[in-house]
Amino acid sequence: MGSLTSITLKEIKELVRDPKILFGVVLMPLLLFPVMGSAIQVSQQSVERAIVTSTFAVYTDDSGVVTSTMLDYLKTNRTVSVIQANSLNQALAQFQGMTSSTMIYIPSGFSENVTTGVKGKMIIYGNIKNMNIAETQSTNVVGTLVNIYSYYYSIARIDSLLQAAGEVANPDAIRTPIAIDYQSIIKGNVLNISPDAIISVVMNQSIMLPIMIMVMVMFAIQMAATSIALEKEQKTLETLMTLPVGRLTILGGKLAGSIVIAVAGAISYMIGFSYYMGSAMSFTQLSTVNLGGAGIGIQPVGYVLLGINIFVTLVSALAMAISLAVFADNVRSAQSLTGILIVPIIIPAIILMFSDIDMLPQTFQWILLAIPYTHSILASKAAFMGDYWIVLRSIAYISVFTIVVLYIAAKIFSTERIITARFTSRNLSDLFKKRR
Amino acid sequence: MDAIVASELSKSFGNIEALRGTSFVVKENEIFGLIGPNGAGKTTTLRIVSTLISPTSGKVEVFGHDVVKEPDKVRGILSYLPEEAGAYQYLSGMEYLRFMADFYSHDRAETDRMIENAKEISGLGDRLRDRINGYSKGMKRRLLLARALMMKPKLAILDEPTSGLDVMQAYHVRESIKEYADKMGVTVLVSSHNMLEVEYLCHRVALINEGVVIADGTPAELKARYNAINLEQAFMEATQLG
Repeated sequence: MGSLTSITLKEIKELVRDPKILFGVVLMPLLLFPVMGSAIQVSQQSVERAIVTSTFAVYTDDSGVVTSTMLDYLKTNRTVSVIQANSLNQALAQFQGMTSSTMIYIPSGFSENVTTGVKGKMIIYGNIKNMNIAETQSTNVVGTLVNIYSYYYSIARIDSLLQAAGEVANPDAIRTPIAIDYQSIIKGNVLNISPDAIISVVMNQSIMLPIMIMVMVMFAIQMAATSIALEKEQKTLETLMTLPVGRLTILGGKLAGSIVIAVAGAISYMIGFSYYMGSAMSFTQLSTVNLGGAGIGIQPVGYVLLGINIFVTLVSALAMAISLAVFADNVRSAQSLTGILIVPIIIPAIILMFSDIDMLPQTFQWILLAIPYTHSILASKAAFMGDYWIVLRSIAYISVFTIVVLYIAAKIFSTERIITARFTSRNLSDLFKKRR
Repeated sequence: MDAIVASELSKSFGNIEALRGTSFVVKENEIFGLIGPNGAGKTTTLRIVSTLISPTSGKVEVFGHDVVKEPDKVRGILSYLPEEAGAYQYLSGMEYLRFMADFYSHDRAETDRMIENAKEISGLGDRLRDRINGYSKGMKRRLLLARALMMKPKLAILDEPTSGLDVMQAYHVRESIKEYADKMGVTVLVSSHNMLEVEYLCHRVALINEGVVIADGTPAELKARYNAINLEQAFMEATQLG
């Protein structure tokens, strides 16, 4: 077995057998996210059940025909309790003692107004007792039922007016005379899909990639820092450095081992996260728009370029983490030190998840573009849109950065700094004293 | 051929001078002890010989190879056991030995022979199948010593090999060093602040204090030179005179 393979396998064994890594990085996302998703699903189902079975109260000062037909319509859909009271205040007092969270109040003259062509106004009261979604949703359900009744009443009224006037027309077209059909043009293709629907799908799909890259890089940093710090903590580094094997081979083995575990962690995270999204978002109507025909979505060449982009991003993050972790004595201080690296990864990921870089102020754009991880995220969006030139540019930028960082890491590994460097509070105070 | 020739070694860490012109010679197949109190410069000397750090000035040759100019050649013939060294706790003893042996040979039969040697030196038997995080301090030290000697290096560098061990464990480790160094024809450079241990173990010793070798010779020669009953007394006399 070659030395590189031997070190890589040792790294994988060490990291996988460390319960903190195995549970925290590989197994926890697989367990935690489905549990969270299921918990949210259960609570959503109870809310839905509460909405479906909700009852509501009605207090009316109007006894006209419109009120009575509307109440009949409402009663066929839900359980309606009609409140008997002498005034609205008395009715509201009774309503607050009831289990219903919604009450319709129909004022006097409602039916007369509606039948004479004046808008009939009613009030829907929501009794917010427990501050939960079910309470507001049941108010919306009542509003929707009233709107449906309102629509059909207006259609019937238009129809009777048309008959009286001896005209033939579609009552629905008279009520809503203009219909809009939204279409989108993407890369010269005209699609019968609204821009909103396209943006919603693109956002849903392209957000996942930056999240995945961010998570994978953060895992990789953690792995690499742990890998070096474990050698120092277990006092095995000195022995390793006197073995007949090149220092670059040791560095390579550590990078490779960390990448394997980081990828496993990222896959586990994404499986768990997908399950979570599937469970937590099961109540929403997800768009099923297919954009493949419009040249949007990742094509095979895009996958290859994206793979290269993710690989160079990972290697640069690992090399940075290793270079920093060398200065730590143990796993805890290594993770604190490498925690600094998470900032330039999270900031571009979050900003670019919700906005486009061109929308930002110029100075801010330059600052973001100087951070290599910004390019990883830009590349993932560009690969999705088929802009391979941007992906290639990102790969080139990150590769140059990676080579510089690897060179620094290799330098640190080939000198005695790997043995003698120590990160302590005293080092820091010495550093500041020297600056002064 | 001399195994180690160290000439006028000095090493500074910032303002601290760990070595100030240390010189000594170790002959092939001998067990050579570097003795002195804590902070005398023993570990720094051993780290320079084992290619881990470079001297600020001076020179060390191991079997004719300069440790600074030819570190790869030196690493191929030496084996270093650092003070308080650890082993990979999530590997089994056997996996650890196999991992280490693979650096010295890619021939399976040869690495198997190394592991057999290690089994014999460590005396750990079936416990080698267990994960190292279940080992006692003494068991770990025996495993590490076995690792350092199993490939029959031309030079074994052992830094405080019995540090922190109880009487029984220290005895076993000392016996193993003495027995296998002779049996395998390995040159050993050992450091210790336990002068009685070194007197028992070493053919020749160098007394080191404040980064300088103040005397060297066989234990008998040093005792005679300072009219002392043991090396501890000889060291005290030497530091007063030196």
